[in-house]
Amino acid sequence: MSGNKFTSLIKVLLTGSAVVLGLALSAGQLTAASMTTGASDPDRVSQPGISVTALYADSSPDVFARAKAARDALGFPVGTKRSGRHVQDGGRKAAYDEVSEVDSAGRPLALTQFDGTGRLLAAIRFDSPSTLASKGTPDAAARTAQRGLIASGVPASGQPEIDADSIAGGWNVHWDRTQGGYRVRGDETRVHVRQDGRIQSVARVQHDLAPAPARTVDRSTATTSVSRQLHTWFAGKESVAGVVGMDLEWVQPNAAFDAGKLGTTPGPYRLAWVANFKPSGPAAQSVSLITLYVDAEDGTVIGGDVVE
Amino acid sequence: MKRAQTLLVSVLLAVSALGASTQATLAYPAHVWSSSDAFSLRCLGFTDTYPQQLYSIATSQMRALGYSPVGGALGAGFTRSAFLDNVFPDYGVYVHSHGDNYWAASGYPNVDSAFLQDPGTSRCADYTQDAVRSTAIKTATGGGPFNLVIMSTCKLGSSSSSMPNGFQIAKVKNATRREFYLGYVYSTYDSAALRFEQAFWSYLNGDSVHRRTAYQAFTYAVGIGGYEAVDGSNPFQPNWWGNPNYNGTPG
Repeated sequence: MSGNKFTSLIKVLLTGSAVVLGLALSAGQLTAASMTTGASDPDRVSQPGISVTALYADSSPDVFARAKAARDALGFPVGTKRSGRHVQDGGRKAAYDEVSEVDSAGRPLALTQFDGTGRLLAAIRFDSPSTLASKGTPDAAARTAQRGLIASGVPASGQPEIDADSIAGGWNVHWDRTQGGYRVRGDETRVHVRQDGRIQSVARVQHDLAPAPARTVDRSTATTSVSRQLHTWFAGKESVAGVVGMDLEWVQPNAAFDAGKLGTTPGPYRLAWVANFKPSGPAAQSVSLITLYVDAEDGTVIGGDVVE
Repeated sequence: MKRAQTLLVSVLLAVSALGASTQATLAYPAHVWSSSDAFSLRCLGFTDTYPQQLYSIATSQMRALGYSPVGGALGAGFTRSAFLDNVFPDYGVYVHSHGDNYWAASGYPNVDSAFLQDPGTSRCADYTQDAVRSTAIKTATGGGPFNLVIMSTCKLGSSSSSMPNGFQIAKVKNATRREFYLGYVYSTYDSAALRFEQAFWSYLNGDSVHRRTAYQAFTYAVGIGGYEAVDGSNPFQPNWWGNPNYNGTPG
């Protein structure tokens, strides 16, 4: 018996022992920790923060019609049946209607998602491109992406950025959102064009923005706020941090540095000075970049990000 | 062997199902580990809340997939010895920490990837003391199979990563065993990892009879977009290896 097979057997025996122990526990009416178990309703979603309501073609014909139109516009596979649901997605902080194309066994082939106004939020197909397909060119990918967006009613103007996808193959064609001349952090329209020339996915990410502040703190004031924050954080420690960049961007306030804000509903994106700094000393052993959001209106820290 | 394994587990499950309400809770162990003391007020001057958020989601979602019991730790309980002592019987493993592809003891160009254990409450992270190397994991796992391995760290999804080998998962995208390894290729913002993993889990567990595959969940999570890149040299780029038809459930 090879080493692999032997350890597999040991693992199975451990599992079996655990099952028998489970039987003994339950037969003895002992209380085990409550666990999440599968439900019989396939539409049930068990992740906290997500709630789902089933949609049906006869009661939501407009949703299914939009889904069919987008599916065909993007050249997505057609299932033997379709299933719909309305999703409140706490992770994405979005609500959307979703229609999935599924095969006869209920396995997904593709899906489309629409926001409350009926505009496409995401469209994704799940089959893999042929590995024999030609790689194509960035220009061809951009043309394919633009045609797909127009056909599916997603606006995109200006020149996109085009990046080769080193993992999935093909190209990522994306238009990064700006408002008032400032980048909206994370917001974009993105199309992945596979190496076989087909569209794999379309995503439109667009968050609500707060009104632009009538007056913004200037760079030097923001720099002072950042310096004060860094001094507070690193005072008395061997670590220091050097600012490597600071720009105005629209950001979502978050709980990155304030556990008291966890679980709260974030407000709309706000204009902020986004400062990146690299720690040195002991902190650099675990964190390579810290990003701080300083509200452009009042100079307070409203969140940030970490690269561990 | 695989047939015998399936048969044994099936028989035991069937027997236990006769009167057991908790039998499944002990069948397929998994561990979820997240380093938090390295990202604490004491070490950084602020408390990074992402390790807690990622730990909570991974724990609940591993359970939703059927892994049980789901052990592990957030913070000081995540030590190298706790990890290595508990990994052998695991079917699923999740780690959130600092990760990188370090040179192996034999030196360049050999890589021995590692993540860092939680440094505990009396000091801060130090690679020389805290690294949990893929070679040590390889020894601790004893060549046994793993179903779902997620390295929520920087760089352990890159082509040079040796971490999949620690869990006997080949870096191919057409495996036939029930296995799936997920990691990030470059340096990654925690907010991006959180958004990605929330989407991954929500899609994978969005069908309670588990007809969706981990590859589809990966494709979904990538497809929704909206990920902030660290810089031009570090685009947001998750990666996977394993079986594209595997649904993430244990066994």
